Amino acid sequence: MGNEKKAHVLEAAGKAPPVGSGDGETTTYKNIGFCGFAVGANASCVDVKNGRIVRVRPLHFDEKYKPEEMKPWKLEARGKTFEPTMKSLIPPFSLAYKKRAYSPNRIPYPLKRVDWDPSGERNTENRGKSKFVRISWDEAAQLVADELKRIQQKYGPTAVLVQGDGHGETMTIHGPHGCQTHLLDLMGGYTLQARNADSWEGWYWGAKHVWGQDPVGQGTQTNLWKDICENGDMLLFWGCDPETTPWGWSGQQASRLCYFWTEIGVKQVYVCPDLNYGAAVHADKWIPIRPNTDAAMQLAIAYTWITEGTYDKEYVETHTYGFEEFEKYVMGQEDAVPKTPKWAAEICGVPSRTIKALARQWAKKATSIAHGNGGGYIRSSYSHEPARLEVMLLGMQGLGKPGRNQLKMIEWGLFSLNSQIPGPRPEVIPAMTRSTYKGWQFTLPAQFIPKTLIHEAILNPPLTWWSTSLAGWPREDQFVQYKYPADGCSEIHMIWTDAPCLDTCWNNGNKVHQALRDPKVEFIVAQHPWMENECLFADIVLPTNTKFEQEDIGVDQFSGQFNTLLYEGQSIKPIGESKSCYEAVAEIAKKLGLYEKYTGNMNYEQLIHHGFDRSRCQKMLTYEQFREKGYFVVPTADNWEADPPGFINFYKDPESNPLDTPTGRLEFYSVGLHEHFWDDEERPCVPHFIPHGETHQESLLHERSKKYPFLLMSNHPRWRVHANHDDISWIREIPTCKIKGPDGYLYEPVWIHPSDASRLGIADGDIVKLMNERGAVMGGAYVTERIMPGVLYQDHGSRVDTIVPGQLDRGGANNMICPSKTTSKNCCGEVTNGFLVDIGKVDLDEMRRLYPEAFKKPYDPASGLVTRAWIKGGK
Amino acid sequence: MKSFVIDIAKCNGCYNCQIACKEEHVGNDWTPYAKPQPDTGQFWMKMHEKVRGSVPKVKMSYVPAPCMHCSDARCIASCAPSAIYRRDDGLVVIDPVKCTGCMSCLDVCPYGSIYFNRDMNLAQKCTGCAHLLDRGWKEPRCADVCPTGAIRFGEEEELKSLIDGSDVLLPEEKARPLVHYRNLPKRFIAGSILDPKEDECLEDVRLTLTSVATPARAQITGADYCFRGDHGGQPKKGVTLVGATDAFGDFWFNQIDTAQYVLKIEKKGFVTRTIEAIDVGEKDVNLGDIDLQRAP
Repeated sequence: MGNEKKAHVLEAAGKAPPVGSGDGETTTYKNIGFCGFAVGANASCVDVKNGRIVRVRPLHFDEKYKPEEMKPWKLEARGKTFEPTMKSLIPPFSLAYKKRAYSPNRIPYPLKRVDWDPSGERNTENRGKSKFVRISWDEAAQLVADELKRIQQKYGPTAVLVQGDGHGETMTIHGPHGCQTHLLDLMGGYTLQARNADSWEGWYWGAKHVWGQDPVGQGTQTNLWKDICENGDMLLFWGCDPETTPWGWSGQQASRLCYFWTEIGVKQVYVCPDLNYGAAVHADKWIPIRPNTDAAMQLAIAYTWITEGTYDKEYVETHTYGFEEFEKYVMGQEDAVPKTPKWAAEICGVPSRTIKALARQWAKKATSIAHGNGGGYIRSSYSHEPARLEVMLLGMQGLGKPGRNQLKMIEWGLFSLNSQIPGPRPEVIPAMTRSTYKGWQFTLPAQFIPKTLIHEAILNPPLTWWSTSLAGWPREDQFVQYKYPADGCSEIHMIWTDAPCLDTCWNNGNKVHQALRDPKVEFIVAQHPWMENECLFADIVLPTNTKFEQEDIGVDQFSGQFNTLLYEGQSIKPIGESKSCYEAVAEIAKKLGLYEKYTGNMNYEQLIHHGFDRSRCQKMLTYEQFREKGYFVVPTADNWEADPPGFINFYKDPESNPLDTPTGRLEFYSVGLHEHFWDDEERPCVPHFIPHGETHQESLLHERSKKYPFLLMSNHPRWRVHANHDDISWIREIPTCKIKGPDGYLYEPVWIHPSDASRLGIADGDIVKLMNERGAVMGGAYVTERIMPGVLYQDHGSRVDTIVPGQLDRGGANNMICPSKTTSKNCCGEVTNGFLVDIGKVDLDEMRRLYPEAFKKPYDPASGLVTRAWIKGGK
Repeated sequence: MKSFVIDIAKCNGCYNCQIACKEEHVGNDWTPYAKPQPDTGQFWMKMHEKVRGSVPKVKMSYVPAPCMHCSDARCIASCAPSAIYRRDDGLVVIDPVKCTGCMSCLDVCPYGSIYFNRDMNLAQKCTGCAHLLDRGWKEPRCADVCPTGAIRFGEEEELKSLIDGSDVLLPEEKARPLVHYRNLPKRFIAGSILDPKEDECLEDVRLTLTSVATPARAQITGADYCFRGDHGGQPKKGVTLVGATDAFGDFWFNQIDTAQYVLKIEKKGFVTRTIEAIDVGEKDVNLGDIDLQRAP
């Protein structure tokens, strides 16, 4: 079927021409969201003329549906009304996405590393250094198939590691993550890179031990928009940026919501080291706090409430367990250090009077806490501590009371759960995750390795750890120990990746590079549309393509206005020799004689139909209607207003509505941790402020800070989705996206406060480097009042541009130098934020003299690194 | 007549407008409305951004600025080959076929809205997406993609209630733009008041701010015209504003005119303080932490 694929370019159907069509343009619908995993958002229209994309624009829901068919919701509070618009609120990434399809960074044809010879020298030490040559699809598929067979025969199926997770374009049939696993399942299995609860590490490893809340570990979201509109006085955006992280997942409804809360007088207080993009426009108050010192301030808030008697004692009595132990620690009975506001102020940089004022406001006003993944503490060392403390503080003020909950500004409907939707509930959450999509790998194969431990598994086996670490797994799993190699399984000798960006997104990229060069890893195949990051470490690179180039079915389930189901017609023909992930793996399946089994003898139309039949919308319209209209808007559920908001039932009657903790209560003293890890000083039964310990020394209170005196905050990027979109020229020319060096190279901004900059002789626009024992990365100084003194900020996810392997990166990919170790001793989450660095000015002339080759690499200032730099004789 | 109304208080700085403009015009040839825009360096819809204040009293302002489609457009008068014309709906368009690349329009535009395309020897700018309006679109790309409704476009009479009380950029140019702004950034004075003895934030402190003179420092000129702060005209003397601190001891006087101010700080039981000569010219002012001593 791959070659017989029919281009179903959807003709402008219906009676009235769609908005914008005309002049020979045709329109296809696409969700252009970047969560991946078939979990879509950002419903868009793609207008095409003469085989080229003219534009991407918002979908106007009312183009083909009447309001009464969609049942728009309405939130009325304090004399004002909040309701959905009639168009999707797509972010700039979706708008500019055609630039990714046409990027000079696209991989034009299959590639083989010049010095990788499967029947001779493999030269694994040259991965990431040597160039590639063009080969045919036939040759590439044969090489992969032969290596696969050889390695499976020699070591067994678990010798193949699948790196098939991570965020990026959301696709269903064609997307990455499910294709190679589907084929390998037919061949006896594989070793899975287990997908962490990334960016919500602390909730997973910490908060679950206070309030349960499987699978996510965050608060119940049901009807919290309504609750806050009606009852909320204050919202704490604690390390939350509603104008950044939600974009790739949910578009810009979060922004509208914040404006509405301003309109009705809900005070918005931002607690974060940086004046993030949400604070910049929505904050009533910004409380700058040093990265990952939040636990100290949280304890001082508890201290204030305890000493002033302003917490809800009755609630604590009836709804919680172990408060006395917590109180002992707060008051200093355990360690002779009362956790006073003055004590905290020294640590966190927030004046003690401000801590007291915040504590009193919080006690007095109905306060919820907003999160959007990422932020100052949730991805740092010991992130379970501030996460647990936050839940306890919410508990001390009566979690679940009107206006007192924990709100998410992102992933509205995560895991297709109604309890993860804070807005008005749709009749159904349309889903593809368990039908046509094959990449939902949240069950365990024979062997797996947590994503954070891949480099350790390769470099220093054997390993043991606790918990599968898989996002969404239950709390109790954290008490189960696993090992690598698993019984009867092999070490890894081959890697098949469709998410080649561990180096710029996860822990200690320099170690990742070292591991990928290990001779034990005999073969690496990467399939990806763009030549970036770990593609350069592959032996064979298969060019895959963007969703514009494919026919598919998709959902928008996160955007917070209306959920939609989309027939995603093929917008343009595949670029170069690219194939979708599904088709690329099909080529290998053919060589293995598994093509029929792989496709199940279904063509795309059948797969789309199969997905529709299991979409949860299948009874709301016929398949024919769906195909004719091209999209379906899921109506708002009748009586959505009646769903009990947040934790209200637990608040009202904890006995009948217990939490899923061992005691059914909010556990200030964790019974589970007491039973299994009673002596873990890094995750004690009562949460502590842990500046440093056996595992991590990333604190200004540790002597390492003498050498590396700045804490680096690295949040989710404003102008990327993790490693995605770093080559979009229109985004790169935005002042906060890149900083142009005197050499014309666009450097990743490093935010530094004017007081620090002037002390160090750094001027705005200077080229600098951030460094610690793990290496150095470069950047362009952005001297700004948007960062507190003593703290530096750089987004994560910039494309790696190695100058000296293992030592120096020009791209500003600071994950290259973040800690290698995981959250804490018994928790294998990532630590990619709030770590120690020093900063210094860079002499570019000197650099160029020292590393002439690296600085001569072909480079396009508009889009950055280009594929041809890596192809021998490439033009 | 078509009009834009751009409400700065609703602009979240997402750059959708700037990106969509480029998406519409880069690589797409809309002759006779416009030839393609170069990939980088031109911004027919340009987002201006500014960080205001100092830690921890910091805000950002974003001002999206397309061509102002002036009713008294100097570019039209300056164009020798008459390549620039006003449409019946008021939008000002440069005919890419007639333009000879003489660049005189670039010199006379007070807003810097016209760009020069060297490869094509053409003056180019925002067309209001006239090519789309003429095929039935209700609004240009920048307005369609604006998530918060900050950019509105339509018939002047439909937008009348929003245009009333709005400002224009560089009013002294008297170019009568079709682009109207609401809530253009002016200036702020902010600070925090505390009781140093008790280490407490002081709430309900009464603040009286009076303008006493024109600011000492020069006004911002040139590319930063969006942030000049005096969009309402000349600074006024003798204007008095009152305010009070919140529970954090914070106070903000937002959207004030550029001027030199005096601030009086009063609270019962404390010694009244006066801060003289607060110069609010080119920058917003964070007065920082202000101690208030208990009355003896």
